[in-house]
Amino acid sequence: MQLSPRVRSVVTVAGLAGAVLLLGGCSALYPPNAASSQGADIRTLYSIFMVPMIAIFVLVEGLIVWSVLRYRRRKGDDELPVQTHGNNLLEITWTVLPTLLVLVLFFVSWQTLNKVDAEPANPAVTVDVTGFQWQWTFAYPQYNLSYTGIGDQGPVLVLPVDEVIHVRLHSNDVIHSFYVPDFLFKRDVIPGQVNNFDLNLKDAGVTYTGQCAQLCGMGHYQMRFTVQTMTPANFQAWVQAEQAKAKATPAPAAGGQAGPTLQLSASSTTSFDETSLSAPAGQPFTVQLTNKTAGAPHNFSIKDASGKVLFTGLPLAQPGQTVSYSVPALPAGTYTFFCSVHPTNMTGTLTVK
Amino acid sequence: MATTVLAPGATRTYRRSALYEWLTTTDHKKIGILYLTNSFLFFLLAGLLALVIRSELAVPGLQFVNSSTYNQLFTMHGTTMIFLVLMPFLAGLGNYAVPLQIGAADMAFPRINALSFWMLPLGGILMFSGFFFGGAAAEGWTSYSPLAQAKYSGSGTDLWIVALLLIGTSSILGSINFLATIFKLRAPGMTLLRMPVFVWTVMVTSLLILLATPVFTSGVFMLYIDRNFGGAFFDPASGGNPILWQNLFWFFGHPEVYILILPAMGVISEVVPVFSRKPIFGYKAFIFATLLIGGLGFSVWAHHMFTTGAVYLPFFSLTTSLIGVPTGIKFFNWIATMWRGKISFATPMLFAVGFLSTFLVGGLDGAILASPPVDFALHDTYWIVAHIHFVFFGGTMFGVFAAAYYWFPKMFGARLDEGLGKIHFVLMLIGTWVTFFPMHLLGLEGMPRRIADYSPAAGWTDLNTVETIGSFIIAISVLPFMWNVFVTLRGPRDAGDDPWDGYTLEWATTSPPPPYNFDHLPPIRSERPLFDLKYGHGARRALPSASVATTQEGAS
Repeated sequence: MQLSPRVRSVVTVAGLAGAVLLLGGCSALYPPNAASSQGADIRTLYSIFMVPMIAIFVLVEGLIVWSVLRYRRRKGDDELPVQTHGNNLLEITWTVLPTLLVLVLFFVSWQTLNKVDAEPANPAVTVDVTGFQWQWTFAYPQYNLSYTGIGDQGPVLVLPVDEVIHVRLHSNDVIHSFYVPDFLFKRDVIPGQVNNFDLNLKDAGVTYTGQCAQLCGMGHYQMRFTVQTMTPANFQAWVQAEQAKAKATPAPAAGGQAGPTLQLSASSTTSFDETSLSAPAGQPFTVQLTNKTAGAPHNFSIKDASGKVLFTGLPLAQPGQTVSYSVPALPAGTYTFFCSVHPTNMTGTLTVK
Repeated sequence: MATTVLAPGATRTYRRSALYEWLTTTDHKKIGILYLTNSFLFFLLAGLLALVIRSELAVPGLQFVNSSTYNQLFTMHGTTMIFLVLMPFLAGLGNYAVPLQIGAADMAFPRINALSFWMLPLGGILMFSGFFFGGAAAEGWTSYSPLAQAKYSGSGTDLWIVALLLIGTSSILGSINFLATIFKLRAPGMTLLRMPVFVWTVMVTSLLILLATPVFTSGVFMLYIDRNFGGAFFDPASGGNPILWQNLFWFFGHPEVYILILPAMGVISEVVPVFSRKPIFGYKAFIFATLLIGGLGFSVWAHHMFTTGAVYLPFFSLTTSLIGVPTGIKFFNWIATMWRGKISFATPMLFAVGFLSTFLVGGLDGAILASPPVDFALHDTYWIVAHIHFVFFGGTMFGVFAAAYYWFPKMFGARLDEGLGKIHFVLMLIGTWVTFFPMHLLGLEGMPRRIADYSPAAGWTDLNTVETIGSFIIAISVLPFMWNVFVTLRGPRDAGDDPWDGYTLEWATTSPPPPYNFDHLPPIRSERPLFDLKYGHGARRALPSASVATTQEGAS
């Protein structure tokens, strides 16, 4: 080789640094271990793709660095290099080999796709996921249970392990995307179209976080939820306890509460139609909330200046419903009222005097 | 004859002010410079938006802007970079270089050329005026329906639509102009297979624009009808189909990706051979690969929709896998061009090598997304943000800066300073990797794109902080470039006609070229007419180096 020692040491150092970076960064270059069998298949596929990708990266960057160092024009060298216009054999090689490579990868990936998208006939649990601006509702139609997220952390989706779970995705308004990073999987939640996928989870007693992956408006970044896994036996016990709890909860008391009635309405998910209310001090009052939003539930809740929640209005007012909330007496002062479903942006001032 | 002996403009007896001249010019070179200047101003603006975005994401919590402003920022950043920076940068380079490179006096339709340009600043101003009318568009540059319907978004979206109608019309007119110029105004002897590779890429790009952009402008027009006149094209609440928007948008949006990269590849294919002192390796294969990318580019659009559940996945997975092949061919051609060359590293070549080493990542991290299951994991995460920025910033923007340093002496008669250029290059290369590479890792960890904030518990803070630092390195790297341009324009115009020992016809005329470009042209017998003139036509077939040296001495 005609390389000067200086250049050779640069090449050696660069090569070593590259190798260290690749090895050190290796675990970071892979997704987390998957919580579902489908996700595990995807992770395996990703690892297969990474082999030729890293090889091509090292080869091509190596060739670039080599050319740059080796074929520099020396000072005072005015001779033209050999004017090579091409080489058929080389060109055919670097056309055919990559074509074969991508075809092989395509077929491997197709096999995984069929496994990931397979939907066995008899799922043990079916979950209806409904996305709306900017929360989720998780419903179990076979158990008559339903949970709508309130607050920052959203709802919890409780699922059994070792059983086939069938998820149906519905949207009430815009496009969302159901995404749990630990599943290595997401699917869009599209209005006017029900998307499905199946899931087999592996480890019980684990909590995974998920969030919306498709931009859906100002609250997109906080459209979060949690998945909690249980053994099948624990899951059945949980279902029965929840069903019992649902029966025990008394129906909301009929209207006609003591004290004045305040009217409040919500036509969107960005703000209440009224941003200030006032109520008498030391006396219970009623808030009648009319939900005029097409896709999302709302409620009426109160927090004080320190952020402590003093009252949470339940049940939620579903689209088109009017719900009366009986609020206990409050001392005089200024409070914030808000919607627990949209706590960041749907707020107003409640003056009690 | 396409050679113009006399410039008719020179016979005018009255003088116009410089400002009037620039506002009314139909000279392709002046319009090209207008395009580039306008794009650079919008580049600074979009860069400022990006800095606010990165500052907001540096640590958890909403420190600088609220989520609704945040959505406007990344929407305007993306739309501006694509429609008002990258596309017009490339159109500007094409405007300046294509007529010169094919030995033409001007573009085929000079007045339409001026019209195409002036629609851009108008569109840009309209789009940005949204900030003063209750908020700019905030649905992302993809503007998915129903989020883009009137009930979920403000009037900024209407301004966005009108601006894009203008910009789209501008592109369509521009592409017709390029095609007419390239097909009708080539100098005698300049056959299609003797055209510089850059002209080929502009030609294929113009075909893509002509076929894809009308679909997009129709789409945004339909969206306008939806929003303002109760149309029901894309809103399921009134019987429309949101997936239809995605199909229309991406039928344009994916060819758009190639519209934004092909001319940059063309620039690299001009710079790498000249600075390696060799011809491009595999000229015909390169042209073939460009045509193949253009053709396949129309059959891959739904890979942006793999997670919608509304796509036949294997077909689009196959076409997307295949489109990696012609890009690979180009990479090997570029490297083989440098191989056994005599490479000098002036700033244009530095940016070209920067393009090769950085764009490679954008090719590979995109190729893996051709697999639908892998896409299920990575779609709409920061992996996608990493990919798009390695392609458009590490690729197209490096190509644009390579072109700026390469053609600046032709445009203004003075070479940009090499020292400042090297500082610019090194900072920008470091900034690009520091900003965009960690985004891959965040994507793998599950950070979705387009979120204004993230939880401190998510474990994404460190990488985000690093990215923010990188983005400021990029911002700082632009300062030496601006200073360079300022200083150079005040200095002597002593670059000469052919400062790089170039191959193509633009280096055969003066710097800057006179109106209508050429007094006379050298004979065109290959894709390197000026090289043939300087070193002899025989030199294109591997002459022994001794005889080449003699030829060269004879020429100089």
